[in-house]
Amino acid sequence: MNQFLQQLVNGLSIGSIYALMAVGYSLVYSIMNFSNFAHGSVIMLGAYFGFFALTLLGLPFALAFFVAASGTALFAVALERLAYKPLRDRKAPFLYFIITAMGASIFIDNSVIATIGPTPKTFPQASLPSFLRSGSVEIGSLNVGRVDIAMFVITAICLAALVLFIDKTKMGKAIQATAYNMKASALMGINPGFVIILVFAIGGALAGVAGVLYGMKYQVYPQMSSITMKSFIAAVFGGLGSLPGALLGSVLLALIETFVSGYVSTQLRDLFAFGILIAMLVIRPQGIMGKSMEDKA
Amino acid sequence: MRAGLGVCAVLIAMLALVGCGGSKKNADTIKIGWLGPKTGDTALWGKAEYDTVSMLVDGYNAAGGIKVGGKTYKLEFIGYDDKGDPAEAATIFKRLASQDHVVAIVGPQGSGEAMGIASDANAALVPVVATTATNPKVTVTEDGRVNPAMFRACFTDPYQGSVAATFAYEKLGKRKAAILMTLEDAYSAGLSQYFKQSFEKQGGKVVAEVSFAAGEKDFRAPLNTIKASKPDMIFMPNYYTDVALSAKQARDLGINMVLLGGDGWPSENLISLAGTALEGCYFVNHLDFNDPDPAIQDFKKAFMGKYNRNAELNSYMAHDALLMIVDAIMRAGSLKGVDIIKALEATDTIGVTGHIKIGPTHDPLGKDAAIIKIVGKDMLFQEKMRGK
Repeated sequence: MNQFLQQLVNGLSIGSIYALMAVGYSLVYSIMNFSNFAHGSVIMLGAYFGFFALTLLGLPFALAFFVAASGTALFAVALERLAYKPLRDRKAPFLYFIITAMGASIFIDNSVIATIGPTPKTFPQASLPSFLRSGSVEIGSLNVGRVDIAMFVITAICLAALVLFIDKTKMGKAIQATAYNMKASALMGINPGFVIILVFAIGGALAGVAGVLYGMKYQVYPQMSSITMKSFIAAVFGGLGSLPGALLGSVLLALIETFVSGYVSTQLRDLFAFGILIAMLVIRPQGIMGKSMEDKA
Repeated sequence: MRAGLGVCAVLIAMLALVGCGGSKKNADTIKIGWLGPKTGDTALWGKAEYDTVSMLVDGYNAAGGIKVGGKTYKLEFIGYDDKGDPAEAATIFKRLASQDHVVAIVGPQGSGEAMGIASDANAALVPVVATTATNPKVTVTEDGRVNPAMFRACFTDPYQGSVAATFAYEKLGKRKAAILMTLEDAYSAGLSQYFKQSFEKQGGKVVAEVSFAAGEKDFRAPLNTIKASKPDMIFMPNYYTDVALSAKQARDLGINMVLLGGDGWPSENLISLAGTALEGCYFVNHLDFNDPDPAIQDFKKAFMGKYNRNAELNSYMAHDALLMIVDAIMRAGSLKGVDIIKALEATDTIGVTGHIKIGPTHDPLGKDAAIIKIVGKDMLFQEKMRGK
């Protein structure tokens, strides 16, 4: 029982990082109908921004978080302007967007390897506020990492803020309208270009937060973007384009993964994760909570 | 269309350049090849090797080169990144052997990569001296035949595994060990198997042997399984990045027992990555970096002086691998692969990692292992040890 609860806690904490990352995929997909595979690299950059803001600039932690999030938000928008806008202007097929995104991802990852280097880095403990230092809190016979608790809380705050923004503000409504029908909302006076920038900025900022959290929990390294493949699966699992879907898919995927590696075999974990993706695409291609649409991924 | 022509012109120019590089033959140089990871998890070690070999090659050249069969040659060093990937290593090997025409090769460091190039090396008769590839199958094939072209400068995993097991059983007095390893890496899987054999032969018990997926960053699920099996120590035959992360996560889960590892641990970055999680833990190493032996200290200083960072374990191993090659070439008095291989088989020399005498399986015989303890930010030498 104890081991079960411990695995459950682990699953939830991994699920919360997946969720922060998956939301970025889903937001962009809901507007542009393509999967932004460069998102993982933006997350990786966020981790580096946060790391250098803390170590090189010696900023206080909260400010470093802010620097990382705004850095990645700017970067994501710049990426959209440089890489995707030219394609949009030429009305290129969606396949081109995906290929461009993958190319951008490889380019960013390798630029980091070439400039900063491939060696993993860890956030120096001394630079973190006490509630984020490694170590755990004992709740009964359970050990819950302090980073995990903080991560869970920060993720919850970010996602709640995002939901409020989308439901309650005018800009949020504009995103919803554009996601529903870009042409019609453009005719109603919503500037699609602006909505796209907004979506990339929000996704980018969340990527920055996710990157810093992931880097704190594990390590900061250039190949980080590969784990975001999991959050992409989570987004598809929950339903690409749906925010609650991304959240649900992330938590479910993380729980399945932890229980498979805890009770079956770690070796089989990815087999299960990708198996679920395939099964989902066969049985219910729109995911748990996604709207039914013709093309996916 | 014009852009297309431009691209073509560039491609042709590049081909021409590559062609020149390949066909350029300088009669007075001996080309020494190297392959190893310059990107990826183990890149730190690959760079250490690359920098070591290029520093030493410069040293030989500054001293006038080496004499082979009455003629003096300069050394030329060519090294490529194999990304720590066996398939990539095979490609790189072909490039070194058939395009660059190297005489001998230092590296690779990983057992997987070394096994990946063994058959090509045998066919091309280009001698390879692996640096830290400790898996026995690097030099001896599955069916027990010795790979003619494959040698190594380090001891092997059965030896290392038995040193670790003996140390755990006799010196630490542990009886119930758990193993955290990955089946996807030949080094990790092999070393855990040999540790288990030796530990159980001596009377201990391996209560859990849990594998994680390569590239894993979250070890808590396997660690929980280990915790539930109630061991009194954990053996971690993994590379330092995995070790640092898994040790930290183990401590977070309230697993406070001693951790023991192999030669995948020693790295300048291990302690900075792990923080205090490895305090009081032990690992088996090839040598003691702080040994007052002048050969070790001089090399250490030279490396520090040139690159302004500490030499890694792989620097010492690459030093000895190159030493074995140069020694063999000079004794062979020939630049032919067959002759160098014959000379390598008769190697009996002193390197920075100790006395290297190559045995019938192309492995150094009876090298002592060093037990190192992590205390604070230091790696303290405990004792020399031999396996059972």
